[in-house]
Amino acid sequence: MADLILENVFKRYDNNKKSKVLNDYAVNNLSLHCNEGEFIGILGPSGCGKTTTLRMIAGLEDITGGDISIGDIRLNNLEPKDRHIGLAFEDYALYPPLNVYDNIAFNLRAKKVSEEIIDEKIKKIAPLLKVDDLLKEKPISLSGGQKQRVNIARAIVREPKLLLLDEPLSHLDGKMRQVLRDEIKRLHREIKCTTIIVTHDQLEAMSLSDRMAIMKDGVLQQFGTPLEIYDDPANEFVAGFIGEPPMNLLTVTIVKEGEGFLFQFAEKNMKISVPERYNKVLKDGMKVRLGVRPTDVLIGTKKSPGSDVEVSVFESLGEERRLHFRVGEEFLTLITTEKIFYRPGDRVKLEFLSEKTHLFDMESGDKIRTE
Amino acid sequence: MAQIELNNLTKTYKSHSALKSVDLTVKDKEFLVLFGPAGAGKTTTLKMIAGLEFPDEGLVKINGEIVNIVPPANRNVSMVFENYALYPHLSVYDNIASPMRSSLYRESEEYIKEAILKVTAKMKIDHLLERLPSQLSNGQRQRVALGRCLVRKPNVFLMDEPLAHLDAKLRHFMRAELKEMQASFDTTTIYVTHDYMEALSLGDRIAIINQGEIVQIGTGEELFYTPCNQFVAGLMGEPEINIIPGEIIRDGANVRVKLARQNQLYELPEDVADFFRGNSIEQVNLGVRGNDVSCSSERTSTKSIKGTVYVLEPIGNRSILTADVEGQKIRIIVSNSYDVDMDSTIYVDMDFSDIIFFDRESEEFLIRHNQESLVKEGANG
Repeated sequence: MADLILENVFKRYDNNKKSKVLNDYAVNNLSLHCNEGEFIGILGPSGCGKTTTLRMIAGLEDITGGDISIGDIRLNNLEPKDRHIGLAFEDYALYPPLNVYDNIAFNLRAKKVSEEIIDEKIKKIAPLLKVDDLLKEKPISLSGGQKQRVNIARAIVREPKLLLLDEPLSHLDGKMRQVLRDEIKRLHREIKCTTIIVTHDQLEAMSLSDRMAIMKDGVLQQFGTPLEIYDDPANEFVAGFIGEPPMNLLTVTIVKEGEGFLFQFAEKNMKISVPERYNKVLKDGMKVRLGVRPTDVLIGTKKSPGSDVEVSVFESLGEERRLHFRVGEEFLTLITTEKIFYRPGDRVKLEFLSEKTHLFDMESGDKIRTE
Repeated sequence: MAQIELNNLTKTYKSHSALKSVDLTVKDKEFLVLFGPAGAGKTTTLKMIAGLEFPDEGLVKINGEIVNIVPPANRNVSMVFENYALYPHLSVYDNIASPMRSSLYRESEEYIKEAILKVTAKMKIDHLLERLPSQLSNGQRQRVALGRCLVRKPNVFLMDEPLAHLDAKLRHFMRAELKEMQASFDTTTIYVTHDYMEALSLGDRIAIINQGEIVQIGTGEELFYTPCNQFVAGLMGEPEINIIPGEIIRDGANVRVKLARQNQLYELPEDVADFFRGNSIEQVNLGVRGNDVSCSSERTSTKSIKGTVYVLEPIGNRSILTADVEGQKIRIIVSNSYDVDMDSTIYVDMDFSDIIFFDRESEEFLIRHNQESLVKEGANG
């Protein structure tokens, strides 16, 4: 099996502004096992090490420590051209004097592939990327979306073992981005080439990836399917990073109430019940970080435990409505598609969906698990 | 009291026509959102009210008075640009005082103090007066910047995309912050944005502008449920509304609709059928939002439309499924746990009571079921 395997990979830039202190790793002990044919997204804020990782796989950066291999072949010391990797970066870098056909053919000709085979390959690839009508055009007459299609066509025409995409859609406007996103997804299904995409756009990563790796400060935070990461974030960073609008993340004090517990918020008289499953791991007076997505906050009934809370802001946004409850300098937000209507000052009881209520350790940010 | 009136406002830059005969009345103390795509003429309109641009034709009136040739400083207009630049070395108090201490106003320190205390109490920043901007949260900084504009009691408050430079997550909070203190403005406000959520959330009314022309003015509910044409419908909502061609088939009193490349005839809600009994329109487009379509791997009724799964994209708490129905792409919002293979067969069902009908040729709004009660139902809080 030609899986892509990263084992304890480190990267340190010496004599580089990026590393202010010794042992400041751009990539710190990264291990990833990507199955053959998988579509993997690497996602994180700028400076998290995602592009460095991609560049090490491509052979554009030295590897400070650890191994990168495809199947049994260790890539560390192979020249980029010997790694059988297709690259498509954010800027298209097409050769302006060459037409689309010659741009796509360029690397194959450099490898002395016969014109006959080149022609055959281009005829096969061009329709997949919808550039078959553009083969005679020069890059200057192409739109951004078309240039990126040609760019990707050029990367896959060599039938690489691995396709690397670095922010391929970030230059494009909203609609074109959506169209090309769909097409990349379909293309991947067609060619079944192991693909890694690096992006800062979480919608892009979630919609394309079979699995995503979330990175921060060079360290892998979580590796899983988009839904696993969305529903069960490993720590507070991942919880806050993934999801749009963001998860509510608030500091709460646990207070005992009868048999169960309540979350007490920064506004002292605001109390909402703690899902029962947390009873064994919590103590009276404990402080934790509460994480709950706005769509998992529900309007309760009169009988719901806890206090009623005051609506600070009501927004009617067409498809959905948002209620914001003031908590100190922050808001607790509820989003629903129900056709409800409230005014500021109205009071309601709130509940959190039990399975979707996350607690994180105040110090480490790690998720507090109930088992 | 400040009512703004724009009559026949026209502006041409070289050969590019920026505004074409814009008529708009903003009522006293109204919060009006000017909403449209980039290059629509939003900022040009704002600058004309501020006096930073002059119209080629037409009138700008503030409280009935023509101000075309009144210099900006004498219009008593306060303009907030994209970033809320505060002086980093001045306290909140001095930041807010700065416009009143300027050579134009030269108010007494006593007067300034009184005005500041009043405004800051209203905006709940009176406990922060001694702090520097760096010691404030984002929300507090926004409040200070707006307080600084409000303190000199402008006739009109002009805001040009104040949230546009923020990332999506912060924008969600700052919009809520802005909305929370909206009530304390007490000033006629014109707010420019290209973000439909901001428009729907903040506007008492929304004026949609495109290519220098006002396309529609109304409440958020009016624009969302009864957009005057397909362009407006396409501006509101994510994913964009689906537009599906159809044909009205009349058989005596029986009025039904047929979708392009489908044979099935669909019953229409009574008020919609009635509308089509009163005219002879045949070629229509059906506007259907992704929320109002459902799909299933099994045929659920004889009315289901057969298609294939083009792509399924999980995007968090929901997924967008794009169905391919005879070459027509239909975007459907499904649960994030919904799983289906690409290219597998899928059956699409639409709720005809949620469909907006447009004229195929003019792309103008024709009718939707229950339109009056939908528009009235939820006036914005």
